[in-house]
Amino acid sequence: MSDSIDLGLHVVDRQLIDSEGRRCGKVDDLALEGGAGEVLEVVAILSGPGVWRARAGLVGRLAAWIGGGGRVRIPWECVAEVRAHVKLRKRAEELGLGRGDDRLRPLLEKIPGSDR
Amino acid sequence: MKIFQVALGILAAIGGFVDIGDLVFNVSAGATFGYQLLWVVVIGVVGIVVYSEMCGRVAAVSGKAVFDAVRERVGFKSGLAVLVASQVVNLMTLTAEIGGVAICLQLLSGLAYRWLIVVAGAALLVVVWVTAFEWIERIFGYGGLCLLVFAVAAVKLHPGWGAVGHGFVPHLEMKSPLLYAYFAVGLLGAALTPYEVYFYSSGGVEEGWGPKDLRLNKVNAMIGYGLGGFLSFALMIVGGALFLGKGIEPEFLGSIALGAEVPLGQIGLLLALVGILFAVSGAAIDTLFSGAYNLAQFLGWEWGRYRTPRGAPRFTITWLVLLVLALGVVMTGVDPVQLTEYAVIFSAVALPLTYIPILLVANDRSYMREYVNGRLANTLGLIYLIVILFIALTAIPLLILTNAGQN
Amino acid sequence: MRTYSSLLGRNVETESGRRLGRCRDMRALLRRGNPTVEALVVGHRGFLEHLGIGGPRKTRPNAVPWEAVVSIEGDRIVVRDGTELV
Repeated sequence: MSDSIDLGLHVVDRQLIDSEGRRCGKVDDLALEGGAGEVLEVVAILSGPGVWRARAGLVGRLAAWIGGGGRVRIPWECVAEVRAHVKLRKRAEELGLGRGDDRLRPLLEKIPGSDR
Repeated sequence: MKIFQVALGILAAIGGFVDIGDLVFNVSAGATFGYQLLWVVVIGVVGIVVYSEMCGRVAAVSGKAVFDAVRERVGFKSGLAVLVASQVVNLMTLTAEIGGVAICLQLLSGLAYRWLIVVAGAALLVVVWVTAFEWIERIFGYGGLCLLVFAVAAVKLHPGWGAVGHGFVPHLEMKSPLLYAYFAVGLLGAALTPYEVYFYSSGGVEEGWGPKDLRLNKVNAMIGYGLGGFLSFALMIVGGALFLGKGIEPEFLGSIALGAEVPLGQIGLLLALVGILFAVSGAAIDTLFSGAYNLAQFLGWEWGRYRTPRGAPRFTITWLVLLVLALGVVMTGVDPVQLTEYAVIFSAVALPLTYIPILLVANDRSYMREYVNGRLANTLGLIYLIVILFIALTAIPLLILTNAGQN
Repeated sequence: MRTYSSLLGRNVETESGRRLGRCRDMRALLRRGNPTVEALVVGHRGFLEHLGIGGPRKTRPNAVPWEAVVSIEGDRIVVRDGTELV
């Protein structure tokens, strides 16, 4: 089964959802392999503040700096399907996604009632 | 049972309709132009019905809230600009609402304003943290229904009903057209509150709305916000009946509450203050969460009150930080009522930035399937696009030219 | 490594210098394995088209097949002479 999609409209800037339904970032860019005269393939999804530099010029660089500049590369094999969101085959932790939330969770766990 | 639930939801929507922007602009417009701007309030109310129905439908069918849609539609670069603009306006609005809560507490308790800012912040924090999400809208919505005292007051003040009726007919004021236009823009900006739409659409996604909830969405939007508009009418009529030509500028929330005290005495004053307290507190919470929703949705973080604070750490910390920031600004002694005017004007300027992407998404079959905008929705949607662009372009010039309505 | 964002926005021209427009998006085939780019979407999507007014999308030819691309250089993408929008 094959579908023709517009990458910018249907893949880039979409929400990433891991195998457990957890939101873990957006598709910030795509890594391509190939070139003129040969097949051009999408090989990976790129996600994270470090990726914003390439997308928004000066403001993007500022945002990237504020966000800590991390970037994650998700090989396309890890994509389960592209629908309203981009669903992934693995859990966010396995792919290195959602680290911001993981880092801050211990802070909140100290506060009573944070699990309700 | 279902009807009962729907009715409760509508009641909450009515009580939650008014925020500090509506209070300030409707009463001021009444004090300055009597009943002449009532027709503008109608336009504003229909506008928020159209806007929120569309956002609710997008949320129900596509599962996406406003800033998901903004980023997907206009991309990262433009979307970031929209995000920044929205956050600035949101923070201004939040600051004004919290200041309003503090003023209300002061009027009710007589304690020092500075302390009550902290009390207001702490109370909002505790309520949000401890209360189940569904209950927050209900508590503040029902409490806001106390504002119906203004409807009673409006009747008891025996306004010239002929003049009131005339006010519903669109007309231009020739004696001070710029000031008239400024108030018209302010009234529209106060009615078309973006944070309410962000909150409504995010709430829809949180509740897991699907196509089966579309009728509920329509009813909520139309009846809830439609009837909420009556409160705005009441405020303007009270402002016109009591303050017009008397040279009283309702610059203080206390003066606004006077509108209920004069015809109804102490009980009127109490109900007015309680109503204002709940309505503005509810608005503060909606605005607070909107700021967090927008950032999280734009960046793809886990978000939502139902995820629990541990389940959505960055989202939670965002609204905590926003609350602290707003409290800090209120502490500097800025006048909440004056800040409200600026917040409403700036939110009018930023309105097209989020309206246009939603209009685009609501027309996109790949998102909406067979639930795309029909002819009516698109006709209204386009009419309001023109209205929104118009007020966005004229808001700041009018603010400057009329010296924020002081003229 | 090439990225999507690095190719976006580049001018698409023929070898003899005729401008076809800017690269606005890429059309790809989703199949088993990695998606393959089959065409570049060139030129502006009209605002009204976006709103769904005036008929279905893609009525105006706006794509350049990837096979027509000869080279990717500097700030532009060069396609074979005689390439038309499809």
